[in-house]
Amino acid sequence: MAARGAVVTRSHVDIDTTRDRATQPLVASVRDLKVYFQAKAGVVHAVDGVSFDIRDGETLGLVGETGCGKSVTARSFIRLVPSPPGIYAGGEIDFWSTEARKGGRGPIDLLQIPHEEMLEIRGDRIAMIFQDPGKALNPALSIRSQVAEVFYQHRSEDILEPLGGEDAPRLIRRAARQQSNSVERFLLKLPPWRAKTEKLKERVNVLVADALKETQIPNPRAIMDNYPHELSGGMKQRVLIAQALACNPDLLIADEPTTALDVTIQARILELIAELQQRLETSVLYISHDLSLVKEICDRVAVMYAGRIVETGTTEEVFSDPKHPYTRGLMAAVPSALHKRGELAAIEGTVPELVDPPAACRFNTRCPFAVEICRTTDPGLVMVGAEHTVACFAYDTSDGSVVLPTLTRWVS
Amino acid sequence: MTSVTAEQGGQPPTAAQRAVISVRGVEKYFPIKEGTLQRVVGNVRAVDGVSFEVRPGETMGLVGESGCGKTTLGRCISGLAPPTGGKIYFRLPDEDAATLDLIDPIPESDRTVQQRKQVERIDANHRVDVMSGKAWRTYRRNCQIVFQDSFSSLNPRQLVKDLVGRPLQVHKEASGQELTERVVSLLESVGLGRQHLYRYPHQFSGGQRQRISIARALALDPEFIVLDEPTSALDVSVQAQILNLLHELQKDRGLTYLFISHDLGVVRLMSDRIAVMYLGKVAEYGTAQELFEDPRHPYTEALLAANPDIRAEVSVMKGLKGAVPNPANPPEGCRFHTRCPVATPACGWEVDDAVAWLQARELLAAGLADVQRRSKFDATLVFHDEESASAVVRAIHDGDMPPAMKAALETVSTDGSSLVIRFFPVEPVELEDVDDGHLTACLLHTERRHQTWPPQTSADSSSRTAANPSSTSTRNSSTR
Repeated sequence: MAARGAVVTRSHVDIDTTRDRATQPLVASVRDLKVYFQAKAGVVHAVDGVSFDIRDGETLGLVGETGCGKSVTARSFIRLVPSPPGIYAGGEIDFWSTEARKGGRGPIDLLQIPHEEMLEIRGDRIAMIFQDPGKALNPALSIRSQVAEVFYQHRSEDILEPLGGEDAPRLIRRAARQQSNSVERFLLKLPPWRAKTEKLKERVNVLVADALKETQIPNPRAIMDNYPHELSGGMKQRVLIAQALACNPDLLIADEPTTALDVTIQARILELIAELQQRLETSVLYISHDLSLVKEICDRVAVMYAGRIVETGTTEEVFSDPKHPYTRGLMAAVPSALHKRGELAAIEGTVPELVDPPAACRFNTRCPFAVEICRTTDPGLVMVGAEHTVACFAYDTSDGSVVLPTLTRWVS
Repeated sequence: MTSVTAEQGGQPPTAAQRAVISVRGVEKYFPIKEGTLQRVVGNVRAVDGVSFEVRPGETMGLVGESGCGKTTLGRCISGLAPPTGGKIYFRLPDEDAATLDLIDPIPESDRTVQQRKQVERIDANHRVDVMSGKAWRTYRRNCQIVFQDSFSSLNPRQLVKDLVGRPLQVHKEASGQELTERVVSLLESVGLGRQHLYRYPHQFSGGQRQRISIARALALDPEFIVLDEPTSALDVSVQAQILNLLHELQKDRGLTYLFISHDLGVVRLMSDRIAVMYLGKVAEYGTAQELFEDPRHPYTEALLAANPDIRAEVSVMKGLKGAVPNPANPPEGCRFHTRCPVATPACGWEVDDAVAWLQARELLAAGLADVQRRSKFDATLVFHDEESASAVVRAIHDGDMPPAMKAALETVSTDGSSLVIRFFPVEPVELEDVDDGHLTACLLHTERRHQTWPPQTSADSSSRTAANPSSTSTRNSSTR
């Protein structure tokens, strides 16, 4: 079966695993982040004391089920949580941009900086790829104008380069920042300015085409004039990736970028993200509910449940030796060839209400090993390996009185 | 289980002697209309000639990418969309199936009166879109569907009691207190309870809503349920709960399932036999084990390779290039050849492939002015100038074109700024048995792989050989 071999054995992008990521400097550090939502029934603790670090050049996976607060955590990085009803109730997100690190400056707290500064960072230093490419693109604008927007917003100096940079006339400089008023727009159409406007547009076209080419879109010049509905889902996601990576960001947040895509396209998109990440040395915060995907592409993993992080560690540690009952339950619930029909290990029950939650392990209602202390005390994250932490009393040896339940079930 | 519609004079066949659903060459075309008069200018071939059988008590899996027609086929089978071609039979006895096998290949006009009567009788009793009123009622009771999106398949204005009790009312099974009790027992069988009777769908989580949908499908104690991606909107832990529930119900009630999904892991777990669909056709068909352990179609292999596996030691995740072609204009030969990593020259290369190849190359595509198609395999590409035409010929011969496509070219000849390309015409690739009930529609796994290439010259060989020297001469002139 030579034919079959050709499909399966072709190796995918080699990811450099030799570099010791543990010693890499931090790109972002989330400390005790709390994001609440004001609802009729009370305050919903969507994210309740989440802490993790993202190191330079790594891919951190944030896994959890619907409603566990992973998307809210990610959106807090660029302050996209609508407020009200959202409330940033505490904690900080420290961010080191490359420039800051080179200049020896300290981090900035993304939750404290003024709005104008956030506008500078959003889409430039921190970019985001959204879940549904069909919804994230504006159906009324061509691909060209949607990708060009990034350059107008953050790279006006690039646009002005062939026109003399900062020496360009004020009218042109304003046009390159999309700040022209109606009178100026009229003037730009008249003969003395028209040639320069054309030059400006051509420059933007070149930048947009280059950005699209990065994501292996064939014949980008032809795609540019299309509208989102004319493209397939995979193509749209490529456009979004081109948009996100246009400014070479320090941190890329990918919020379930492949959930809306077919498996065959998903694999291509993930290859693309991995390849671009390696080339551009971007750090990635990868959010997903799909454990098998996270295992494939992430260096480290943080598992979230009901607004809390329950387990963190390197992918190797977490997947070869999951500690938290929730992580084990999730892994065992993924169907595979080993399972018999009707014998999938489901986690019984549902995610608890997050309205004014009591001080207890959030998982105690569904945990088959829960003991008294789980219902009355909040477990903290304890170290169980070199980089492996888990929030479960079964591993908390600081207090001798705790009965260690034997976690034998759900070991896949 | 209720007995099969009794046929005049004969004993009703037992469950073992009939298929629950028998799909025979089903086609579902959606017309593309254009202009003020809404003239039909083409068809989207969502389902294009699919045949299989679902036996009592088994689960048939239907898997494929979005847009491959699996949901449309499910809707045809459950009677929600009449097929535009082919036939779907419900509870077709094996005896009648054999009769149909004999009669179907005979053209309508050549059939004897007796044969026509036989077909009429079978159709009236079993064929879903023409069956008699009585048979239709039995079919409707016994064939239910669970939809993918429980947000849109449960009426937000109705209480759970009304949603689940509605089928019982319609078929005048129960009313008043008895209805309520029946609904409660249905809810209990899917893991809900009396306390949920007077609630609206929005008060439930996704998993609970899917349970309500299942309870509604079970209301009339059906024999067959179409499960159209029942868990794709759910989290893994909840998905596991629902899959376990479905299996338990199947065991207890002797249900037959058609399980539609794009998730290979789920389909493998749930199905006895699986049909892999691609662009409206079945690419491969076999038992779950055969398909996963010994796939015989590159598309199945590609799906398996792209599926991340949480338990795999080494990652082999591998994507598939290109997008699903337009089902209004499906590729010739094997429909998968445009994306197939192991395509051969015999797989059905055509003009559209050459044009797509050209358009993916910015410099070459810039010179293209027009494509004059004479057939799927024969066209003249008109370029703006001679230089662009010869650049394309160079690209074809320099190995820029995929070797399989290049080998499928019968003629490439330039005439000034226009370029004539002609491919060897090929037959469509049909499903063939390769291993005792394991069917595949791939040349590489059937006898046709031994065919010689290029194909034997046929009657009009003289004109072809005449065309060949000219192509050679252009090659020489263009590469000098």
